[in-house]
Amino acid sequence: MYCVSCGVKLEDSEKVCPLCLTKVYHPHIKIPQGESLYPSDKYPPRKMSLKGILAIIAASFIIIALTCLVCDMRFSMGTWSGYVIGALILLYSIFILPFWFEKPNPVIFVPSNFGGVILYLLFINIITGGNWFLSFAFPIASVMMLILTAVVTLTRYVKGGRLYIFGGMFILLGLLAMLIEFMLVVTFKNLSFIGWSFYPLVTFVLIGGFLILMAIIPSLREKVERKFFI
Amino acid sequence: MKKSYEKQKLKNRKLRWMRLDNAAKIYPAARRQNWSNVYRVSVTFKEDIDKNILESAIKKTYVRFPSICARLKKGLFWYYLEELSSPPEIMQENSYPLTRMDKNETRKSAVRIIAYKKRLAVEIFHSLTDGNGAMVFLKTLAAEYFVQKYGVKIPDEFGILSRDDKPDESEFEDSFLKYKGNVKASRKESIAWRLGGDNEPAGFLNNTCFKIPISVLKEKVKEKNASVTQYLCAVMMMALQKLQKERVKNVLKRKPIKVLVPVNLRKLLKSNTLRNFVYYTTPEMETRLGEYDFDEILKIIKCKMGQDITQKQMIKKITTNVQSEETLIVKLMPLFIKNIVMKAIFDAVGERTACLSLSNLGKIEVPESMREFIERFDFILGVQATAPYNCGVLSFNDTVYINFIRNIKQPYLEKAFHDCLMDMGIVATVESNRIGE
Repeated sequence: MYCVSCGVKLEDSEKVCPLCLTKVYHPHIKIPQGESLYPSDKYPPRKMSLKGILAIIAASFIIIALTCLVCDMRFSMGTWSGYVIGALILLYSIFILPFWFEKPNPVIFVPSNFGGVILYLLFINIITGGNWFLSFAFPIASVMMLILTAVVTLTRYVKGGRLYIFGGMFILLGLLAMLIEFMLVVTFKNLSFIGWSFYPLVTFVLIGGFLILMAIIPSLREKVERKFFI
Repeated sequence: MKKSYEKQKLKNRKLRWMRLDNAAKIYPAARRQNWSNVYRVSVTFKEDIDKNILESAIKKTYVRFPSICARLKKGLFWYYLEELSSPPEIMQENSYPLTRMDKNETRKSAVRIIAYKKRLAVEIFHSLTDGNGAMVFLKTLAAEYFVQKYGVKIPDEFGILSRDDKPDESEFEDSFLKYKGNVKASRKESIAWRLGGDNEPAGFLNNTCFKIPISVLKEKVKEKNASVTQYLCAVMMMALQKLQKERVKNVLKRKPIKVLVPVNLRKLLKSNTLRNFVYYTTPEMETRLGEYDFDEILKIIKCKMGQDITQKQMIKKITTNVQSEETLIVKLMPLFIKNIVMKAIFDAVGERTACLSLSNLGKIEVPESMREFIERFDFILGVQATAPYNCGVLSFNDTVYINFIRNIKQPYLEKAFHDCLMDMGIVATVESNRIGE
């Protein structure tokens, strides 16, 4: 077959002349059906650039922070923008920053984020003239950091033993509830409801104990798995 | 039992890693959001491909080519290649060849094996190897496929390697380093004229293939006492001259017409490498001086190629690149800074010195026992980063296959090239991946 417009000799597979884009046509000859070089409807999926999205998010965080700073300086003499900016930095470093890395390592990110939280609490304590950082916020946040860092480190670097690790974590979180109540009493005194930590302690210890039990008894584990697999 | 032991052994083997060769280093740095330097070699069989047999052939072949079945990884100072731990998967064909190979993909595998009906295609990121190395891999894979499918015996000749042998160390050699000399060539080159057009949406690439009977072309080539590459290069420059004349009316504003012709250095300098070992020559015509006829263009090309394609000239050219890589400050520069610098150099001078590449892999030879199963071979280059065209050529049996690739809508160059061929009395059959408007 030849192109009616430019006279190019075409393969039977051509529906349109590749050189002048004229439809292949002949009034008297039935156009043969040749095999096409490529599939007609198979296109690779279009990918969005993750880095681009992250850059937009970072820019919007910066814009919000700057807007707050400018408004605060203009109308309130710099009284509240520190809280917003601190919270934005924390939000960004916890939820967005890890996505900039190909393989974010939680063993590094978890303690770093807790470090950020502790600094933010210290900032609030200083600005508000509170007296609760050293006796309450710091020890609680530090213990929480130790527990969670230990969990992510063990999960990441130890093969197996997940049920023991998470079981232990729940028991420690129960104990942490007790510590929180104790520190509250020491720091803020005159509290009306004492003894509430018993409830989370019992709940967490039960959950943790059950997980450890599952780890010890394979048949129980298998039964639970069979019932709850997703 | 033995099979599972071998499988286990394969799984637990120590994966080989390799530094990038001198030519390969620019490609990871130069890639961008919508472009990476990938090319394709393909073979079309006479029957549809049996994917199960192909899978088994890949399994047997890929360990023989650790520098080609590899992925691209980042070090602190340089990129490096690491052989694949498992065979590359067979991928599906898209509506156009050479879809973008992004960083994530090259990190997993920098080679794609694509099966579509009768065609087996291999798409390779240029850091792994050049067209000649890719052709060795493709022919070896096809040979293994035929052995498994038809039970034929195919001798290890014409670039087909034995799958039972261990890879030879000389195949991983960076021959640029081996042959570097003391005298450097100047990098200074004039900027070439570039053709433009309306970009295709969503990165679509138009592949147009011209098929010319080799006897017709040989006759014409013989008349002019030239080689096939020289002759086709002259036709290409003629077409570019015609297009520039139409678009740039002011003669003084015209830029030189230049075509980059890769040179297989294995033919000049003894090397067994399966890595990159090509350099290039760039025939050039200064169109501000007036219009050239075909014989004049051919004369320029013959002269330039004759002058450049010698051992001494090529050694001088590769020495320039090798010496800049060996500078201490370059070596100690962290990779991300190197990437910025190399990309800037590539954008400023790398590609702008030619209108397009015309790469000819020459006559593809295969053993007789394999020939009966093969219909054709194809060689398709990816488009340039900032110019819409490239062209890959090879011949098999009695046909020359000239594959144009372009990322713009208008087939300006193909049309002009075809017109020039017609003027020379050469009729080409044309086919493309364009389905319709």
